[in-house]
This record gives sequence, C-alpha cells and structure tokens, in this order.
Amino acid sequence: MAAASSSDSDSGRADSSEASSKWLDAHYDPMANIHTFSSCLALADLHGDGEYKLVVGDLGPSGQHPRLKVLKGPTVLTESPLPALPAAAATFLMEQHEPRTPALALASGPCVYVYKNLKPYFKFTLPQLPPNPLEQDLWNQVKEDRIDPLTLKEMLEGIREKAEVPLSVQSLRFLQLELSEMESFVSQHKSKSIKRQTVITTMTTLKKNLADEDAVSCLVLGTENKELLVLDPEAFTILAKMSLPSVPVFLEVSGQFDVEFRLAAACRNGNIYILRRDSKRPKYCIELSAQPVGLVRVHKVLVVGSNQDTLHGFTHKGKKLWTVQMPAAILTMNLLEQRSRSLQAVMAGLANGEVHIYHDKALLNVIRTPDVVTSLCFGRYGREDNTLIMTTRGGGLIIKILKRTAVFVEARGEAGPPPAQAMKLSVPRKTRLYVDQTLREREAGTAMHRTFQTDLYLLRLRAARAYVQALESSLNPVSVTAREPLKLHAVVQGLGPTFKLTLHLQNTSTARPILGLLVCFLYNEVLYALPRAFFKVPLLVPGLNYPLETFVESLSDKGISDIIKVLVLREGQSAPLLSAHINMPVSEGLEAA
Amino acid sequence: MESPRCLMPSFAKRTQFPASAESQKPRLKKAQEFPILEKQNWLIHLHYIRKDYEACKAVIKEQLQETQGLCEYAIYVQALIFRLEGNIQESLELFQTCAVLSPQCADNLKQVARSLFLLGKHKAAIEVYNEAAKLNQKDWEICHNLGVCYIYLKQFDKAHDQLHNALHLNRHDLTYIMLGKIHLLQGDLDKAIEIYKKAVEFSPENTELLTTLGLLYLQLGIYQKAFEHLGNALTYDPTNYKAILAAGSMMQTHGDFDVALTKYRVVACAVPESPPLWNNIGMCFFGKKKYVAAISCLKRANYLAPFDWKILYNLGLVHLTMQQYASAFHFVSAAINLQPKMGELFMLLAVALTNLEDPENARKAYAEAARLDRCNPLVNLNYAVLLYNQGERKGALAQFQEMEKKVRLLKDSPSLEFDAEMVEMAQKLGAALQVGEALVWTKPVKDTKSKHRSASASKAASLQQPLGSNQALGQAMSSAAAYRKLPSGAGGIAQPTKPSLPLEPEPTAGAQPTEAPAQIRETQE
Repeated sequence: MAAASSSDSDSGRADSSEASSKWLDAHYDPMANIHTFSSCLALADLHGDGEYKLVVGDLGPSGQHPRLKVLKGPTVLTESPLPALPAAAATFLMEQHEPRTPALALASGPCVYVYKNLKPYFKFTLPQLPPNPLEQDLWNQVKEDRIDPLTLKEMLEGIREKAEVPLSVQSLRFLQLELSEMESFVSQHKSKSIKRQTVITTMTTLKKNLADEDAVSCLVLGTENKELLVLDPEAFTILAKMSLPSVPVFLEVSGQFDVEFRLAAACRNGNIYILRRDSKRPKYCIELSAQPVGLVRVHKVLVVGSNQDTLHGFTHKGKKLWTVQMPAAILTMNLLEQRSRSLQAVMAGLANGEVHIYHDKALLNVIRTPDVVTSLCFGRYGREDNTLIMTTRGGGLIIKILKRTAVFVEARGEAGPPPAQAMKLSVPRKTRLYVDQTLREREAGTAMHRTFQTDLYLLRLRAARAYVQALESSLNPVSVTAREPLKLHAVVQGLGPTFKLTLHLQNTSTARPILGLLVCFLYNEVLYALPRAFFKVPLLVPGLNYPLETFVESLSDKGISDIIKVLVLREGQSAPLLSAHINMPVSEGLEAA
Repeated sequence: MESPRCLMPSFAKRTQFPASAESQKPRLKKAQEFPILEKQNWLIHLHYIRKDYEACKAVIKEQLQETQGLCEYAIYVQALIFRLEGNIQESLELFQTCAVLSPQCADNLKQVARSLFLLGKHKAAIEVYNEAAKLNQKDWEICHNLGVCYIYLKQFDKAHDQLHNALHLNRHDLTYIMLGKIHLLQGDLDKAIEIYKKAVEFSPENTELLTTLGLLYLQLGIYQKAFEHLGNALTYDPTNYKAILAAGSMMQTHGDFDVALTKYRVVACAVPESPPLWNNIGMCFFGKKKYVAAISCLKRANYLAPFDWKILYNLGLVHLTMQQYASAFHFVSAAINLQPKMGELFMLLAVALTNLEDPENARKAYAEAARLDRCNPLVNLNYAVLLYNQGERKGALAQFQEMEKKVRLLKDSPSLEFDAEMVEMAQKLGAALQVGEALVWTKPVKDTKSKHRSASASKAASLQQPLGSNQALGQAMSSAAAYRKLPSGAGGIAQPTKPSLPLEPEPTAGAQPTEAPAQIRETQE
C-alpha cells in the first residue's frame, strides 16, 4: 500500500504541475459553511435564464439545521431551512411545456420536496407500509379491552420472533416498557392506528421516454425497506416498484423508463444489484466483500469505489474488468463529463486531500486541495461548461474551471520503475580493524581455532563438574531421582524479628504418592530459633503443592542475617534428596520485648 | 439470550445517554408521534463507509437517544465500529442485541459469529453461522467463514466442502486463497496450484494470487511458469515484496546479480528489516565477488534472524571463500545446530576443518555428510579427495564410485548442468585413482568461468597446498547450487517447507567456483 501510494503520488506530482495549467481556480472559500455529500449537490438552470445555479442540500455543521442553499457564482442566492436532513437532491424536467425550467427535488425523511422556480411546489410522501395484520388485530382487541397488557406483550413478542413483517414503533416501544408503565401506555395509545413508515435513502433521475439532454425524467427513490420506486414526473404516482435484498445506498441509472433501462444499486450489504426494466428482482449481483463508497457509470462501465481503498470497474452484467488501488480512503465519487471532448471520467475525493480523476484504469489528473474533499460535482455552472465544485470537510467550497484548452492525456503507459529502485543500498561499511582481523585470521586461523576449542572444552568440563557436584550433594531444589521426583521452593514472609518460612513441596511424579519424607533445617542457633528444626512430611499426593509453614525467630539485634539450609530427607537415608539455601532477610522489626 | 429489555439498559450505559430521563418525556404529551426508527440510517451508513467514525458515533448516539435504543441499524454500526476499534467483546454484545431486535435477520447472526470468530471461539462461531445459514441459504460469506472456522479447527474436509460451496455460490479471491491454504497445510502442492490457477483465471490482476502461484511453481522447480507469474505480479504492483524477492532469487540463480540488486533496492526501501532480503543482497555481492560487502549484508541478515540456518550457511560459505576458516567453522557449526539433517552443511564443516588442520574431525564430518546426503555427488567427491590426500586409496575409491552413482542418477534430469570445475576435478581424481575413464560426464560442460580462473590462478599457486584441502573445495562445493535445485530425486535435501513465503533463494545461489583448476594441476604433477 505504501508502495502504491509512493508510485501514484509520483505520477501525481508530475501531473499536478501540469494541473496548474488545466484548472483555473475560480473560487475558494474555506468558511462557506457547506457540509454535504455528493448526492446532495445538483447543478441546474433553475430560472431558465441560461445561468446555471448550484443547489446544495446542506446538512449543517453537525447534522443540525439542515438548509437548502442555492448558489449563483460564489454567492448564496437563497437559503431556506429544511424540516429534516436531506438525503439527496436532484433536478429534473417535469413536463414538456415551455419554459423548460427544471424542477428541484429534495429527498428528506419519508418525503420528496419538489420545488419549481425555487418555490415549494409539491410534497410527495412515501406510502405507509402495511402493518402486520396480527399486530393490527392485537391492538384492536386492546382497544376493545379484550386483552390485558401482559398478554399483549407476550403476543407481540411472539410476532416479533417469527413474523416476516416487522412490528410498528408503537409495539416495539411497548415491549420495552416496565410492567408498571404498560397500563398508561396502552390507554394513551390504544386508540391510535398503528403505522409503519419508511424513509428515502437515495434518489436519482431516469429519463421517461426520450434520451435527449432535456427530456422529461422520472425520480427513482431507494427506500429503507429495501425497495426501489420510480415516480411519475407529473402526477407523482408510483410507476414501478422493485425490491432489493438490502437497503440501497447509491443508485446509477441508464436508459429510459418507457423503453429499457438498467438500474444499479449499491447496497448496505456490500453488494451491487443490477436490475432491468422488466425485472422485479435483481438480475445480476456484484459481491464486493467491502462496502461501496461510490458508484458511477462511465459509458457502459460501472465504477465502484470500495472502502478498502480500491476502485473497481465492472461490466453492466457484473463482470469485473479492473481494479485500481488508491493511495488513501475514498470519501466520495462523481462523474466528470466533458461534452466538448466527449470525455467521461470518474472523480474520487480521497482522504489524503487529493482528488484523483480516472479514465478507466488510467489516472488522468490529480488535484490537491487544501482540505479533504467530501463532495464533488462537475458540470455547467453559471455560464461556464466545465466547472468542478468541491466542498470540504471543514465546510469550505472550492470552485475550479477546466481550461478550454485543457486536454486530459492518460499517463504515459507504464508507470516505469518505482522511485525506490534508484536509491542506493545502505550496505554497512567495514572498518580497517575488521580488515586487519581478517588478515590475522587468515594467517593464524588454525591456532585461533585450536585455542578456542581448548578453552571451550575446558569451560564445558568445568560446567559439567559443577553440575555433577551439585547433583551429588543434592544442592539443587529439584530432585530427579526416579523414586522421589520432588520440587521445593521456599518463601520468607515478614519484617522480623519473627518470620514465616513457607516451604512449597511438590511431588512431580505422575501417579505415585511419596511417603516417609523428613524435613530438616540447618541454621546458626545463635542467630535464629525455630520451633521445630526437624519434622515429618505428610504423604505427598502427585501434582499437589504442599505448603509447609514454620516460624523463624531472629535472635540477633545487630542486623545480621544468615542462611538457613533446608534438607529434604528420606527416612533411613543420610544423604538428602534435595536441599535449598534460604537467604534470610535482615530483621527490620523492633525486638519483641 | 436475554430479552431485549434486559440488554438495552446495558447498552444505554455504554453510550451514556440518560434513557430514564428521556423516556419520561414522550408520554407526557398525549398524541406524541413516534419517530421513524430508521430515519437517519442512511446518514449513519454514509459516515461509516467514509470512515468518519466520530461523526458516525455522534449520529448514532443522537439516534439511539431519540428512539430509546430501538434503532437496530444504529446499534449494528456502533458494534461494527467497536469491533474496528478492537473492542470485540462489546461489539459481540451489541450484535447479540441486534439479533434480539430482529431475530429473522441473517446479517446480525453473521456478525455475532464474526465477533465470536475474532475472539477465537471457532466452535461457537460455527454454531451461529449454521443458525444464520438456516435463514439465508445462499450466502457465500456464511459458507466461506464456516470454511475458515473449520480450518482453524483443523477439520480440513469440512472446510474444503464449505469453501467449495462458497465458490459455487459466488467466486471470491479470498475463498480461493483459503482453499489453497488448506491444500498447502495438507502438503498437497499440486492441488494448491490447481486452485490458485483457477483463482488467477478468475481475477488475473490480483498480485497476491499471482505471487503465491509463482512461489508454488518455484517450490516445484517449474521456473518458467514461476517467473511468468511473478513477472505478472510485478507488472501490476512493481513494489510487491514477495514477488521481487522471489524473482530476484531466480535472477541470482541465473547470475544476473546486477538486475537482482536493482530489484532488491525497491524492497530495501519498503521493508528494510527483512532477513531474506539482506541474505539475498549478500549473496548477490558474493556473486559479484565483493566479499566484504557480502559479509556485511549477511551479518545484518543474521542479526535480524539469528536462527535462520540458511543465512549461517551462506556466512560459512563466504568465510570459507575469504579463507577465514575459524570463523567459517563457527557459522557452519551454528547452522548445523539449527539444521542437523543436511549433508552439505557437514561437508562445509569438513572443508573448514580440513583447512584448520584437523583431518580427524574433517573425516568424521565427511562421513556424516555422506550418510545424510542422497544426491549431491560433490559430498562424495570432496570426501574422496580428502581420503586420497591422506593416502587411503580404498576409501577414496569407494567414495568416488558413490559419486559416480549419484551422477548417473542425476543425468536423467534435463535441466541439469554439471559444474565445469567439479567435472574437471572428478576426472583428475579418477585418473589419479586409476579408475577407467568413466563416461558419466557426457553432457557438454559450459566453461564460462575461465576468466575468473586465470585471474586467480597466480594467487592460488602461491598457496602451495595439497589437493582439495584448501578453499578450492569450499568453492568447488559452491557449485552445489546447481544441484540443490534438482527437481527430481532431491529427497535428501528437501527444501524446508516453510509456511511463510517468500522463500529465500537457495543459499548458495550466488556462489561461483574460482581457482580450483590451478591447484589441481599442481597436485597432479
């Protein structure tokens, strides 16, 4: 990934110097206070005066105070508050008559607000969803006081477990209540009819019966209950309804409603479904195994950005054509269409503050922006044909104009070797001393080897001797004899003058218990006193840890400490099985009076 | 599972909204409309896919406050974010809440299972996935993840079936990779290659697939195909670490050290602490006769991976070449401690010992080498030379015949070229032992290295050492490079099967025989 970014930014660097000649910086206002998504941007000649305006469904700085803003040039022409957050904005022609001014549609919650001449014209509300008949029935019974709240709760829970149709909010809220609250809730709400309302998640337009630039278009809505609706442009009736396996997030349409059309819907489950005119259900499915962050159709290729920083191209039948790795996360995507040169390309706003423009796999241009671009839109603005409008995360607005002389050329074929290839390897240097030592080794290698080997053998011999000695005198805390595999470790607690000495004795054999062991303490009787210096160990069950406690009293008041030796013996044998040396701490306590 | 009412307050606490205070309000107003639960799901989703988690959390919090924790999608995304932040246990609890809110939704169960999987509870994950599969029969993701769970439980047959089901439903690169992994875990290279071939057919631009396939071919010794796939991978991603390393090692085998070095520079920039990389760079320098640089690089590799016997082997080899026999001895013996089953290592040890004037131990090492090795005639040749120099013609003859046997076996493989120097040495020894001119060396021998030889001849001549007892052998053995890659009959030195690709190149890849002929001539006189 790092490598990809380095190579990309390199070609980007080359491009951006050129880019200064491709784009004119028309306007940049970092404090424009516009917070929106690409789907809420639209360009249209709203007044029919040939002057294109920018429509922004603004979500407001923190998702509060949503507003509809219309910009002309760098200034805000009108601004009006919206009742709810806008999910999408679109401009479309409603009817054939002159003057052919497009209407503006704003999807928000369950409604589409249609404006003509920037005046509210029509409000379309999604039809209510049919409630679950069983649920309806239950509430009717409650209304007639035939069942009590507890029964209602049980029944509703039963419905929730099994039913296909989800419960209404009213029932869900009821199920959350405590016993005591149920009565009042029921009496308050029982007279109301239960409702299920869904909301619009995305919206786009689809030409009705002509492919012309200024043909009448239908609105296509994606809803939260996994449906796609096509609305009649004049009567706002539902012309067609299609269902999807998941909730649509992005839509891309081509064709005409009355003739033939193709609808691609990127959904929340990470799949893209492709539908045709006469299919009620998806015809093809593209499984991305990641979340799509943008969907753009370029001619016949569907370009999908995924949240794994990749851009994929698919055919309209769902076959993967190509994949491009991005240097950073994609935040937004949109189509760049330069009609004069009949160029269609994809713009992708990235999290590293760049906008990359791709034609298929080829990177055409990189635009660096002062802030991270969160929404993009390209088209005719004012009287300028090729304008790029970007809004940034901080609420800024950037307007750039593509120079009329600018031609996008695809990056020269192969990207060439990565820049790292030209870098020198950092081979560690060797010192003069090293070379001298090498020469010495060449001369006296045999002698060095022999000396080393001799010393090594001597070292091993000494180690082995010490080990044998330790074994012979049972100085080690682990006994390895076949009959009594034992482990011992000791803990001293206390500040003094009385200490508690705990011996942890463990039988490490797998099955055999050990009987008849003795523990003996060897210590300087001038310094320490133990209640019992010699005692029997109970039977040791394999695996268990036996803590044997004893008290040690320090007799000296001079701050002297000594070693206490612990010996574990077998009855009737004088050689200890194992032994431990305990370094007693210095007594810090006052002498007990 | 508990009822949702019991779970909800716990969630409320976590996101810290005053549920109790809030819940009072709506009931005071009489005809209060209930908010639409899914009102802002689209916004939550848009923030989520843009990885703007802070904004996302703010919307989720607001939404949950408004709906009193009933908004399933908000909880769902909150759980996803928790999981991304590493709070898997919390995410699991939230997903379970979602599953309670809408028990018919396979997605929720899938996520519960996924969280269980991430917690390492594979058996529990399988159970939940099976539940989810009941709700949604045709989901490749469920099948795929079931397969992965079974892999972790080492039930490869079941995993195999599930992954095939997944492929049947929808083809994904990931499923292919997992299937390939099963075959590799079972040690079935051919099947793994089959799978990866299909995968590459399906997505020809996936560099990971291409690289893995290339490496598998490399492991099987099918160099043409290996290079093809690695090359493809590099066209799509010119900075692919694995592919560069593997392709570089192949270039080294062919002696293109400079090309390999330029390729390695890319990796050195991206992964500067890779032991195989520095090993390969070291051997490139060795091939270019820059021994000091070679030692520097190999020592760095050894520092980065002290327990890699291949690096130690190479260090031993380079030190032998540098006539630093004492150092060579240490490196080789360290390598032997880590890899006690390789004939060549013992041979190197023997060469070092011979030069350290310890023929007793050298003989023992040779004997061990001859015992372990199955197909490298060099071991026997070197042994024979030692025995001959010690005046044991009988033993030398036996070893010589052993060598001839191995050579005959090897002659069948087409890709093989015997090292010129080894052939020459063998012929000389044959003459000295008065064995009839054996016709084992029928293949034409390339004599590409004559230049180096003449250059170093004078230096070698001044050393005046008996046959085969000096570095000549060390270098002669370096021609083992050719043999270590034998596709057939290489059973004795089976490549250590390392699960972690990329494979390093063969340790002796860069080695070049040098001044041996001059010395042989001397002793023959």
